[in-house]
Amino acid sequence: MATLMALFYTFLWRILLMVVHLNRSLVSYFRVRGRSWKSRLWERAVSVLLLPVALIGLSDQRRLSDKPDTNGSPAHGTRTKCRRTPWLCDTRSLEKLPVHIGLLVAEEEPSYTDIAKLVVWCMAVGISYVSVYDHHGFLQKNNSRVLEEIVRKQEELLGGEGSKYSVEFLSSNKPQNVLSCRSTVKVLSPEDGKQSIVEAAQQICRSVENRERSSKDISVSVLDILLRESKNIPDPDLVVKFGLVNSTLGFLPWHIRLTEFISLPSHRDVLYEEFLGALQQYSACQQRLGQ
Amino acid sequence: MSWIKEGELNLVERITSNILKAGPMPKHVAFIMDGNRRFAQKKNMERQEGHMQGFNKLAETLRWCKHLNIPEVTVYAFSIENFKRTKDEVDGLMELARQKFERLLDERENLEKHGVCIRVLGDLNMLPLDLQQRIAEAVVATRNHNKCFLNVCFAYTSRYEITNAVREMACGVEQGLIKASDVSEMLLDECLYSNNSPHPDLLIRTSGEVRLSDFLLWQTSHSCLVFQSVLWPEYSFWNLCEAIVQYQLNHMSIQKARDLHREHQALQQLEVDQACVAEILQHHGNGKPTDAQRRHEALQRYTACREERVRDFLDALKHKRDSYFSDLCSQSVTA
Repeated sequence: MATLMALFYTFLWRILLMVVHLNRSLVSYFRVRGRSWKSRLWERAVSVLLLPVALIGLSDQRRLSDKPDTNGSPAHGTRTKCRRTPWLCDTRSLEKLPVHIGLLVAEEEPSYTDIAKLVVWCMAVGISYVSVYDHHGFLQKNNSRVLEEIVRKQEELLGGEGSKYSVEFLSSNKPQNVLSCRSTVKVLSPEDGKQSIVEAAQQICRSVENRERSSKDISVSVLDILLRESKNIPDPDLVVKFGLVNSTLGFLPWHIRLTEFISLPSHRDVLYEEFLGALQQYSACQQRLGQ
Repeated sequence: MSWIKEGELNLVERITSNILKAGPMPKHVAFIMDGNRRFAQKKNMERQEGHMQGFNKLAETLRWCKHLNIPEVTVYAFSIENFKRTKDEVDGLMELARQKFERLLDERENLEKHGVCIRVLGDLNMLPLDLQQRIAEAVVATRNHNKCFLNVCFAYTSRYEITNAVREMACGVEQGLIKASDVSEMLLDECLYSNNSPHPDLLIRTSGEVRLSDFLLWQTSHSCLVFQSVLWPEYSFWNLCEAIVQYQLNHMSIQKARDLHREHQALQQLEVDQACVAEILQHHGNGKPTDAQRRHEALQRYTACREERVRDFLDALKHKRDSYFSDLCSQSVTA
C-alpha cells in the first residue's frame, strides 16, 4: 500500500513538474513572439484584454516616451521611437544606471555575437565597467574571440559613432589593447571567484609566515583591497543573468554583496527591449544598506 | 511565542508535501527574512511588533520544514550593518533576542524531543555580554541534538565571516600548525562559521528585493536563489512550496555545475601539491631530475602529511570555538 502511494505521488510530482515546465516555456515563447512583427495581432488582442491595466499604466508610459503608442504596452512605445537613436532617449528615462554591470551567462553554450551585442549596448548606454562571465570558463578561454566580436559589433551597431566609444579590455592574464578608457570590459571565469579569494588568503598567510604581518591585522578592508587587484573597479551594481538556472554559479562571491540580480531567459537573440527592461527594473531598486 | 510550533499540516497541505517529497528535496534552506518593517508600516503597527510577527513566522516555517523533511535551516537574523539602525530599533531587536533565547532555554525539553540543534553564526563579541551568555547557554544546551539544525546568523556578514576564516588560517600559520601553501578552498570552507553544515541548496529572500545583502556569499555560489515578493510576516506554506518547485526545476543543472566545480577544486589541490613536491625534490635532489616513480611516492607522502596537518589544525580550531561557548556559559553560572 505504502509503495503504491509512493508511486502515485511520484506520478503526480512528474505531472506537476511537466506543467510548470510547460508554463515556463509558453511564457518565454509568447514573450518573444509577442514582440516580433508577425504576431502584432496577438499582441493587440492581449492589449485589448488588458486595457484596464494599460490605462492604469498610461501615466508611467508617458514618462517613458513622449509619443505614447495606442497599443498600451510601455516597452512597445519606446521601441518604435528608439530604433534609430536608441541610446540617447533611453538613458534619459532611467533614473540611475549601474556603474559596473555583470553579464552572467548561465547557459550551456555561449553565443559570442549575442554577448558582443550586449556588451556594446552596455557601452553605448554609458555603463563604465562590463564583466562577462560563464561558469564553464569558455569565454575566458576564448577571450580574444570575445574581444574581436565586440569590436566588430561596435562598428556594426554604432557605425560612425563607434569611435566615440573606445574600450579598454582587461584580462586577468594579459592586459591588451588599452585604448582611451570610456568603457572597461572584463571577461571572468570561476577562477576569478572563490579561487581568487583563496589566492588572497594564501598571499596574506605567506606574509604572516614570513613575519611581515600579524594575524591580528587582517580585516575586511585588507582582503577587499587585495581582491580589487589595485585596479579600483567598483563592485558590480547589477548582474543580468541569462538562462533558466536560478543561481550565481560561482560569480565573484566576494563582490556581489550588494549586487542586484535580474534574470532574462536567454542571451541568444536577446532583444534590446529586454535589456532595457532589466536596466529599468534596476533603476527602480532602492537600497537601504542595513538601515 | 515559542520556538517550536506543534501541529500537523492540513489534508491539502499534506498531499502537496507528499507530492513535492517525491522529487529531490533541499537538505538545507537559507532565509533572508525581509519585510518585517514594511509589514508593520502596512498594518499600522509598531516596528517592534513587526519584528515579533517575523519571529513567529520563523517558528511556523520551521514546522513546515520539519514536515517537508528539510533538516537544516539558516536564517539571517541580524547583520553587522544593522547596528547602523536607530538606537531604539537596535535595542528593541537585542531585547527580542534576549527574550527569545531565554524562552529557548525554558523549552529545552521540547527541543530535545525534536532533536533540534541551534547554532549561532557571527561575531558574538559585538553583542552585549548578557546576550552573549544567553546565546552560549542555548548553543551548549542543544549542541548534541542531531535531527534538525537551525543556524541563526547574528551579528553576521559574509565578508566578515570570510575575513575571520582567513584570520583563523593566519593564526594557524603563526602557531606553526599549517603552512601558507595548505590554504585551499576546502580549508577556507572548514574555517567559516558554517563549517558544520552543508552548503544551502536553496536560498529564499522575501519582500521582492533581489540581492544577497552580504549573506552566505561563499556558501550560496551554487545554490538555487529564489526571490519572492511576499513580506516575511505574510509568508505562507504555499510560498515555501513554490520555492521548492523552483529548486526542483533547477536541481539538475545546478547539480551539474556543482560537480564541475568540485572536479575543478580537486584538480587545483593536486596542482598545488605537485608544485610543493617539485620544490621539495628540487631542494633535496640538488636539481637532479627524478624519475616518475619517486615523484609519485613523494606526492603521496606529501599529501598524507598535508592532510594530517590540516586535520590537527581543524581539531584545534573546533576546540577553540567549543570552549568559547563553554567559557561564556560557566561565566554566566558563576556570575
